[in-house]
Amino acid sequence: MASLALTAAVGEVGKGFLRERTSDTLPCQATEKLFCFDWAKDNIDRYGTPTVQHLELVTLAVLFGFAIAFTLALLAHRRRWLRSPLLAATGVLYTIPSIAFFFLLLPLTGRGVDTAVIALTAFNLQVIYRNTIVGLSNVPASVKEAAKGIGQTDRQILWRVELPLATPEIIAGLRIATVSTVAIATLAVFAGGGGLGVPIKQGGIDFKTNIILAGGIAILMALAFDVLLLAIQRLVTPWERVARA
Amino acid sequence: MPSEELTDRRSSSGASAVRYAGATKRYGHSAVAAVDDLTLEVPAGEICVLVGPSGCGKTTAMRMVNRTVEMTAGDIFIGERSVRERSPAQLRREIGYVIQQIGLFPHRTIAENIAAVPQLLGWKKDRARARTTELLELIGLDPELGERYPAQLSGGQQQRVGVARALAADPLVMLMDEPFGAIDPISRERLQNEFLRLQAELRKTVLFVTHDIDEAIKMGDRIAIMREGGKVAQYATPAELLMAPADGFVEDFVGADRALKRLALMRVADIDLWEAPLAHVGQATAEVRAKLAEPEVEVPYPLLVDSERRPLGWLSKRDLAAEVVPSKPDSPLGPLLERDDIMRDALADLLQGEAQYAAVADAEGRIAGVLSVEIISEFLASPKAKSEEHGAVERPHG
Repeated sequence: MASLALTAAVGEVGKGFLRERTSDTLPCQATEKLFCFDWAKDNIDRYGTPTVQHLELVTLAVLFGFAIAFTLALLAHRRRWLRSPLLAATGVLYTIPSIAFFFLLLPLTGRGVDTAVIALTAFNLQVIYRNTIVGLSNVPASVKEAAKGIGQTDRQILWRVELPLATPEIIAGLRIATVSTVAIATLAVFAGGGGLGVPIKQGGIDFKTNIILAGGIAILMALAFDVLLLAIQRLVTPWERVARA
Repeated sequence: MPSEELTDRRSSSGASAVRYAGATKRYGHSAVAAVDDLTLEVPAGEICVLVGPSGCGKTTAMRMVNRTVEMTAGDIFIGERSVRERSPAQLRREIGYVIQQIGLFPHRTIAENIAAVPQLLGWKKDRARARTTELLELIGLDPELGERYPAQLSGGQQQRVGVARALAADPLVMLMDEPFGAIDPISRERLQNEFLRLQAELRKTVLFVTHDIDEAIKMGDRIAIMREGGKVAQYATPAELLMAPADGFVEDFVGADRALKRLALMRVADIDLWEAPLAHVGQATAEVRAKLAEPEVEVPYPLLVDSERRPLGWLSKRDLAAEVVPSKPDSPLGPLLERDDIMRDALADLLQGEAQYAAVADAEGRIAGVLSVEIISEFLASPKAKSEEHGAVERPHG
């Protein structure tokens, strides 16, 4: 069953990504060269669509993952007994190999971006959930006691004290989740979700120039997300940067 | 500015009495109550210290006032109103709260920390800002520090900010839970003095929890000594507590040195000083010797004073052997005390100077009398002196 689906997936994305410009493609593909600059220069435009698809997959998966995991974390913060079951549940989703998850979902959601995003979102939950919980429980008890003592309600304590102070940990979780998702989204091709996995899959393992280009774009994307999130963190937590007395 | 006038007036009169009426806290079905049927009244504008060994329920008793601990029976009134009349959050905004760990918001600037309660109460920005500046000045911090974060301040500064935050909305009552407990002894003493100075001005009703009897004696207008099981062993002024402990528990808790502690509550002016035979430069020594021979003389050495009656030093036998009183006495003056000095410090000066006698000067530096170790020990021993002390005791605040 799985192998059938795999064949189908390969067939679909295999449609001529690299074969349109035959004359210049094939010599480079055939050589043992690690990287053909000429080929890369002539064909870099081919990576535009997969890159945009990849960005889309990652952004959606992280946004949904954050929305769900953050909500679960807030629930578990209020109701302690939920903490462990939720940790275990997200842990299971995290452990399922993504590629297996895609195939498990195919009969339910069919091929396409939806399936890919669902699997990637499920993969994200654990890290974001765990970091949010850790961040919230690291808020000093004295600060919470003071907040309560001056007359903040539970809701005010959560939004004005606990969450701001948990922000560094929450963003750290988002950074890990985002970087991993950029890497794992290259497998979305097996769910028909597109992305940078398409050229990698199609070029085959011998076409190193193609692998380096697609992989390089993924690395740059991961770096860009990381820097962006770090910048956001520094912007929203100015107190973390002050010189200590 | 009318708004400033308003805050000023409020800060000088905004205090309510706190009355415990059988307040009880029992955890679960525990046989022993944490606080048992507590009934006591703290008059408006006074500091009441709850003191006792750990586990005596003093913190619980304090926290029932702002309902961070809910009592299981009885009631507590602030002014005429039961603490149960308002929601806990509303109630707490009217009560200043200072804790040992300070608990400043690390992600808020000092100014934002101080303005936390005004913000909850929905004050206008201008009013909150003006109040913040006023409070920074009141606690002796440079208003520029308002822009800093708590981590950039020393522990002592942070605790001052904690006090300012508690005072920000001009609360009727202040709760202070071992507020200076985590501060080094030197800063601690300074913070205590600063708070007493503030309190002399603001006259808040303060409930102050500590396990340190010395701090209790220093800070309290009244002290409630609590014992295990949440019962009050004695509720009295510091002087009463030291003079007449209600039972063995209080006596033990106050300590064997309670006689010495009483000295911390008195000033030199509160005691009858001895009169020194005075001698002036150039006076015939025969005259001075005659004065010394009188039977009622209490100090066996003549004290040399200048023309303004300011003490210069003590005359020795050798000085008196000369014809006239020399301008330079043989023995130095030793410790010179003032009438306003706290008796304990005066005794320390005497002992440190290895002196039997110390001259006491008035505000103008003129001789007011002589204090001796003997006067102090007689005073502590005599029951008559004890009853006098009732009327004479002044609080050492200032």
